[in-house]
Amino acid sequence: MAVLSRIREVAVVRRGTTSDKILMGTMVVLSGLGLLMIYSATKNNGSFSMERQMIFVAAGVILYFVVSNIDYREYRGWVPIASGIILVLLVAVFAFDPIENVQRWIPLGFFNLQPAEFAKVVVIIALASLLAPPVRGEIERRQLTWVKIGQAILIVAIPGYLILKEPDLGTALVFGFVLYVMLFAAGGSWRQMSILGVGGVLAALAMWQFNFLEEYQKNRVLILFDPNVDPLGDGYNLIQSKLAIGSGQLFGRGLFAEGTQTSFEYVPEQETDFIFSAVGEQLGFIGAILVLIAFAIIIWRLLVIAVNARDRFGALIAVGIAAMVVFHVFVNIGMTVGIMPITGLPLPFLSQGGSFYMAMTLSLGIANSIWLLRTPVPGENQLT
Amino acid sequence: MKFALRLTSLGVVFVTMFAIVGLRLWFVQVAEGPEFAEQAEELTWISKSSYAPRGDIYDSQGRQLVTSRLVPAVVVDRTFIQPEQRDDLIQNLSAIIGMDPDELDTLYEKAGTNGRFQVATVSADTSSRISERLDILPGVEVVDVPERVYLVGPTMAHVIGHLGLPDKSDTDARPELDPSVRIGKLGVERIYDEILEGTPGGIDYRVREGEIIDERPGTEPLAGSSIYLTLDLELQDLMEMAVEEGVALSNQVKDAERAAGEEIFNETTRGAAVVLDAKTFEVLGISSYPDFDPQLFVTGLDAAKFAELQDIQAFNNLAISGLYPPASTFKAITYTVKEEEDLPLPNPEEVEGIDIANQQVHCDGTLFLDANAEVGSGNKKTDWYNPRDLGWLDIHGALENSCNIFFWNVALGTWREFQNTPRENVIQDWAKALGYGSTTGIDLTGEAAGIVPTRELFEEWKLFQLDNPDLPPRLEPTRLELDSPWLGGDLLDFAIGQGAFVATPLQVAVSYAALANGGTVIEPRVVKAIQAPGGTPEPIESGQVRHVEISEATRQALLQDLNRVVTTGTASTAFVDFGPGLDQVGGKTGTGQAGRNKDNHAWFVAVAPIDDPQYVVVVLIDEGGAGSRVAAPVARHILQYLMGNEPTPIVAGADAD
Repeated sequence: MAVLSRIREVAVVRRGTTSDKILMGTMVVLSGLGLLMIYSATKNNGSFSMERQMIFVAAGVILYFVVSNIDYREYRGWVPIASGIILVLLVAVFAFDPIENVQRWIPLGFFNLQPAEFAKVVVIIALASLLAPPVRGEIERRQLTWVKIGQAILIVAIPGYLILKEPDLGTALVFGFVLYVMLFAAGGSWRQMSILGVGGVLAALAMWQFNFLEEYQKNRVLILFDPNVDPLGDGYNLIQSKLAIGSGQLFGRGLFAEGTQTSFEYVPEQETDFIFSAVGEQLGFIGAILVLIAFAIIIWRLLVIAVNARDRFGALIAVGIAAMVVFHVFVNIGMTVGIMPITGLPLPFLSQGGSFYMAMTLSLGIANSIWLLRTPVPGENQLT
Repeated sequence: MKFALRLTSLGVVFVTMFAIVGLRLWFVQVAEGPEFAEQAEELTWISKSSYAPRGDIYDSQGRQLVTSRLVPAVVVDRTFIQPEQRDDLIQNLSAIIGMDPDELDTLYEKAGTNGRFQVATVSADTSSRISERLDILPGVEVVDVPERVYLVGPTMAHVIGHLGLPDKSDTDARPELDPSVRIGKLGVERIYDEILEGTPGGIDYRVREGEIIDERPGTEPLAGSSIYLTLDLELQDLMEMAVEEGVALSNQVKDAERAAGEEIFNETTRGAAVVLDAKTFEVLGISSYPDFDPQLFVTGLDAAKFAELQDIQAFNNLAISGLYPPASTFKAITYTVKEEEDLPLPNPEEVEGIDIANQQVHCDGTLFLDANAEVGSGNKKTDWYNPRDLGWLDIHGALENSCNIFFWNVALGTWREFQNTPRENVIQDWAKALGYGSTTGIDLTGEAAGIVPTRELFEEWKLFQLDNPDLPPRLEPTRLELDSPWLGGDLLDFAIGQGAFVATPLQVAVSYAALANGGTVIEPRVVKAIQAPGGTPEPIESGQVRHVEISEATRQALLQDLNRVVTTGTASTAFVDFGPGLDQVGGKTGTGQAGRNKDNHAWFVAVAPIDDPQYVVVVLIDEGGAGSRVAAPVARHILQYLMGNEPTPIVAGADAD
């Protein structure tokens, strides 16, 4: 009930502005395109992927509106409890039978909950809460202490480790990227950022060297240089996906075109991780670039929201969300065209999958809430 | 740095990341797009092959031995099956053809998305029932596939061979193989697989939701070429029966010997025979008992039956894979080397019973040696088959009577004269030149090389044995203490075809053919000609030829002496009712010592006609007993047929080496 009373408060506080329509519009366009693509990728295999995704889209949009109307500043107080719940859920996935050798989901009957997707949002809020000055009006004297950086790493490391063990290397890497971007935004010095960057690279090399990674995860990196490393498994995915996207050429083969790679289902996972291969094949280079521009618009809006946020807490949340979206888009599309390893990161708003879709609309809802509560004078938030 | 500036920097980084992706998309879709589009287009076509029948197999007289017929087979094409139809289809189809649904399920999954696979060949009845129910069997077709028909059953089974599905080693060697099409696994079916198999035809098509939407013009399957064997079905039939009778005869003889108190170890179960053309080295007949029916591999061979056949070694062609000490049959080679190389007899002052002037040896049953270590086994060697005094014999009498003492002395003289000189392997070198110790190169599967022992080989064995003390030893432990484990006694054993020396019946046939034709050795062949579909039979290239110099005098003398073996010598009893032309027959008995708790192997080699040798016949009865008793009558029976005489029953001959 406290939530509902806050909603009324937000309405009072905000300065008579409306939601970020560009952000919402782009989200809706991408979601619609996602439904079309999922339909085209699965219409021949008799599954109900598109119908299921429609339900998720509806639920996600409702979530977006609800969250838009919650004062994001409330979340500071919820961080410990939300973190606790997410950690319990992340541990709980190991209690359920693996699906294709991985344990990422909690079956709820009507859909499988993937806690790692929501963990991304919780971690972003927790980091923002840590890195933003807690008291209104306080000015950070030092840019960023190593103690804070250590705490931030700890916040990311615990869920990150659990997710790595599912195993889900891609999602764990999202955490690393988001952490790095948020530390920079929160005032990390060049020296700190360099040390962290070098440390991150060394940690990655150590993980590679000491067999922290599964053999298949290593192969996925090696495939980048030679798809024939695993021509029947991941290498096959990559070859087929490149063929599909490449055959789209400049203008694409047309939406729902017959005789495409997509319609023959040559590309595995084409309604989830490889949805972009359907986009590339059917809509061509023009369509692919337009999708990329749509994501760029979302990033642009998120950065604008960050600049205009009422406080550093909101600004850092928006930056964290932007980093998360950028990383997903870059790694996912990069993977379908062979410049990034196959990590199983879905494409925001387009890939089929309930948890991820709702985590994304939840994030944009929070961003919209930050927008609704922005400061009167743009760029002044660093003093609040 | 101001917060806004930090965010702007982030924006620049993010835009750069997107730009990288955009550039890559340009490269994949626009720069290389057309190439990818072409490859992708090709991938959407599916090939449906129609199988080509294999070529037929004929005997040398043009009698058909193996052919192919078309039988209905159930084929499932997953392209035409919607995912929701899958389970029903598997239930319905397995019920109609009477197959375990799980088995069908496994085949289905193995075929992969858009896969096409053959489920089973079916009866005409089942085929029509399927045709009536195609409404509940999406993606199911009944197509005619060729099936092998072996018209002569187990006759020539080891030469003809059989088919089977390719296994991993086959597909590794020939990645283009269709895993559902049977290939040759044994015999001519395997060696000539790529000639017999046809070229499958087929059409390419594209399917959309179970409907063919596009088709390319197809190609007709091209039948494989046919093969003409060098073997004659009639002779082969007679040989197979003769060998089987020889095995039975051996058991009768053993029963009698057992009743007489002799020690008999095993029942006789195996035998082999070869008839080789002495001039062309074409194999006119080659039999191995026991055998199998290749048709079993068509109709289905259950694991138990397969194991049973494997247990009795039914799939082994003993004539080319069985390794036996050639025993006294080898004396003809030692004979030839002695004559051609003028091998010395030992010094009469050192060895008793040597007459240098007349080149005679006293065959009185025992060879006394000086008490020395050179022979490795005491100072006395007894000729167990000729323990009585045969008197003084020259090389001719020694061959006729198979006198071990004489040939031991040839080896002993050679050893004392040439040991540790380049000539010490003179007899072995001849043996190798005549085909022993390496495969003959016959166009059949599973040929063994055999062993020709030499000092070098024994030294190799010694080193191997010292390095691998856990493996079964080849040399006696005392030999390992010697600097060189090769002793004079080993050469003595070798000269009479014993010791570590082993050879296949085919190798024995090849060596006798060379002795009979004056020294020409050719790779034996079982295939004579190949006939492309619609063409005439084209003779195949003959095998590799090499020549060993044998003087005409030695050749003639040897053939005369071999004739004395069957007229007055060790095989005279077995050949007594040969009929006309016995003066044209030469032969040699052999009784190979098989080792502990085993009976002797019975050998007989024959050459005919000796004026112009045409045939070499080799008979081996595995643990059959004495060559003269068991093998000679079988060879005589085969020779009677070859020489145009009425073959007389196979009954025991006299007991001689």
